[in-house]
Amino acid sequence: MTIQNGDEAAAPDRFLSLQALTKRYGDTAAVDAVDLDVRKGEFLAMLGPSGCGKTTTLRMIAGLVPTTAGQIVVAGRDLTNVPPYQRDMGLVFQSYALFPHMSVAANVAFGLEMRGMAKADIRARVAEALQLVRLTGYEDRRPGQLSGGQQQRVALARALVIRPLILLLDEPLSNLDAKLREEMRNEIRDIQRRLGTTALFVTHDQDEALTMADRVVVMNKGRIEQTGTPEDLYERPRTAFVAAFVGRTNRFPGTGAGDVVHVGGVTMRCARPVTGPVEVMIRPHRIHLDGAGDRRADDNHAAGTIIRTTYAGNVVQYDVQAGDTVFNVEQSTDATGAIVGVGTAVTLSWSVANTLVFEAAP
Amino acid sequence: MSAAATAQGPDQSRRGTTFAATTLLVPILLINAIGFMLPVANLAVISVSEIRSSGAMTGGWSIAKWTTVATDPFYWELLANTVRTSLIVTILTLIVSYPIALCLHRMSGAWKSILLVLVISPLLLSSVVRTYGWIAILSDRGLVNSALAALGAQEPLRLMFNQNGVIIGLTEILMPYMILALLAGFGRLDPRVEEAAATLGAPPYRVFWRVVLPLSLPGVALGSLLTFVLAISSFITPKLLGGGRVFLLATEVYDQAIVTLDWPLAATLSIIVLVVFGLALAVYTRILRQIG
Repeated sequence: MTIQNGDEAAAPDRFLSLQALTKRYGDTAAVDAVDLDVRKGEFLAMLGPSGCGKTTTLRMIAGLVPTTAGQIVVAGRDLTNVPPYQRDMGLVFQSYALFPHMSVAANVAFGLEMRGMAKADIRARVAEALQLVRLTGYEDRRPGQLSGGQQQRVALARALVIRPLILLLDEPLSNLDAKLREEMRNEIRDIQRRLGTTALFVTHDQDEALTMADRVVVMNKGRIEQTGTPEDLYERPRTAFVAAFVGRTNRFPGTGAGDVVHVGGVTMRCARPVTGPVEVMIRPHRIHLDGAGDRRADDNHAAGTIIRTTYAGNVVQYDVQAGDTVFNVEQSTDATGAIVGVGTAVTLSWSVANTLVFEAAP
Repeated sequence: MSAAATAQGPDQSRRGTTFAATTLLVPILLINAIGFMLPVANLAVISVSEIRSSGAMTGGWSIAKWTTVATDPFYWELLANTVRTSLIVTILTLIVSYPIALCLHRMSGAWKSILLVLVISPLLLSSVVRTYGWIAILSDRGLVNSALAALGAQEPLRLMFNQNGVIIGLTEILMPYMILALLAGFGRLDPRVEEAAATLGAPPYRVFWRVVLPLSLPGVALGSLLTFVLAISSFITPKLLGGGRVFLLATEVYDQAIVTLDWPLAATLSIIVLVVFGLALAVYTRILRQIG
């Protein structure tokens, strides 16, 4: 981690580089010509629905799935045809995949043993790794005697102790309960930052991707839809898929007519001129809800009636019928705020910037 | 009254459950007692009965057979040969069956079912028939030796009527049992765990020695116990392929009981076989505790 070779220093933005990486099973492409560059020390999340090719991509980087075409280059070295045991990748599995017949210490020591390290050095490194994941004192336990969260931390220590080129995490949190998941999120993030390890995190959970990653890659049907910071993806989604997959959104079919779009009886202005069939997306919490006739300075307005009210603690969700369209609107609550009842006439207001339009899929 | 009844309720129902469970055990206990315990006790009695040279029992008691077995080196040799042959058969069966079982374990879908049926299908044939099949293959003019002769071999290989024939025949005949036991014991093998070992730097042979083999040991132990016990008690195959020149406990029991009509000696040897079974089971339990 301290010594960098020439290639690495020359291309720090391309520590990991996937070039037209492809995996085909018969006629279907699980991963279809994916190009991706990852910076050294970066925490990158690959986000997408199941079957989008994110796990296959990760497994190709680890060397567990042979590639059909394309290249995997790490630190200037082409690893495409290198077997997994010579790649120096630290992989954490969804199921943890600990060795059930070995103690915690032996699990963590395994990778170092394979590298022929001296016994005393192994002991020191194992102790250090277990301290890192706060499992000192658990050396002699078997994986079967640990809780899910503890097993997860052993898996993390086992992958990190070999000081891998890249830490690969395959849905590592999906087998944990909600509270533990949040805890582990921060823990993994902190450890990754402290060690400066480049990490690739595969998840289908957008919250995980947005909160943990420096950059997020959204994948769909074997292709990358968009790569960007969490804010890029949320505020400036490039495709309808990204807008719908990252965060909650209203999704309306409409017709573009220059600067305005007609959506089921409501006409709204949008950020860029469009014509023909489009999809319009507006995030529920970016729509203001006011009494009938109370117009804000916002550019888009719609008059409607509340048809459903759902109280969820931190927010109230309203379904508002405006024209032929039902808007989902979210308002944050506070102790003094009143909840607007069903049947109330209201005015919806939202800005042009928050009116995202996409050409409808043919 | 109702309070007392409620307090008694759970207790009574528990007693009821225990009673039901015990009742369910009765049939198997009866069968075991009549079909196994009694005959074994009978064997013990016969082994210390006195007989005339004709084989007829006098009604008196004698420990002559036990002293004969204990002092005659022939019987010690017989015991050693039996255990040795069974161990060799067990190890060979394990070596041949392990790759097949591992391959089957890793397959899925229709091919797995088809191959599994193929593996079990020899059990549909009686081992007598299968042994005759081996005679056709192994005899001096059998398949193997005809092929060798065609290749220019002067002398036929002695593959039958000796230890070789017994070992070859038993190994093949016991393979289905071994494969099934191995498959049953491979439950802890997880492809993800093997992948984890690979990403940590273990080449395939080290993955096998450090992960696959240790995790498959329960299956290996179970299969070995089953094969060893079946090898020791098998009698038709050693009889036919050994041609009367291979002496094993099971064949000797048959000879003493049917040919020589020395029932006490046959009973004594039978009990020795039982003791060997008991020891094998003890070793198995011990090993299982260590690897579990």
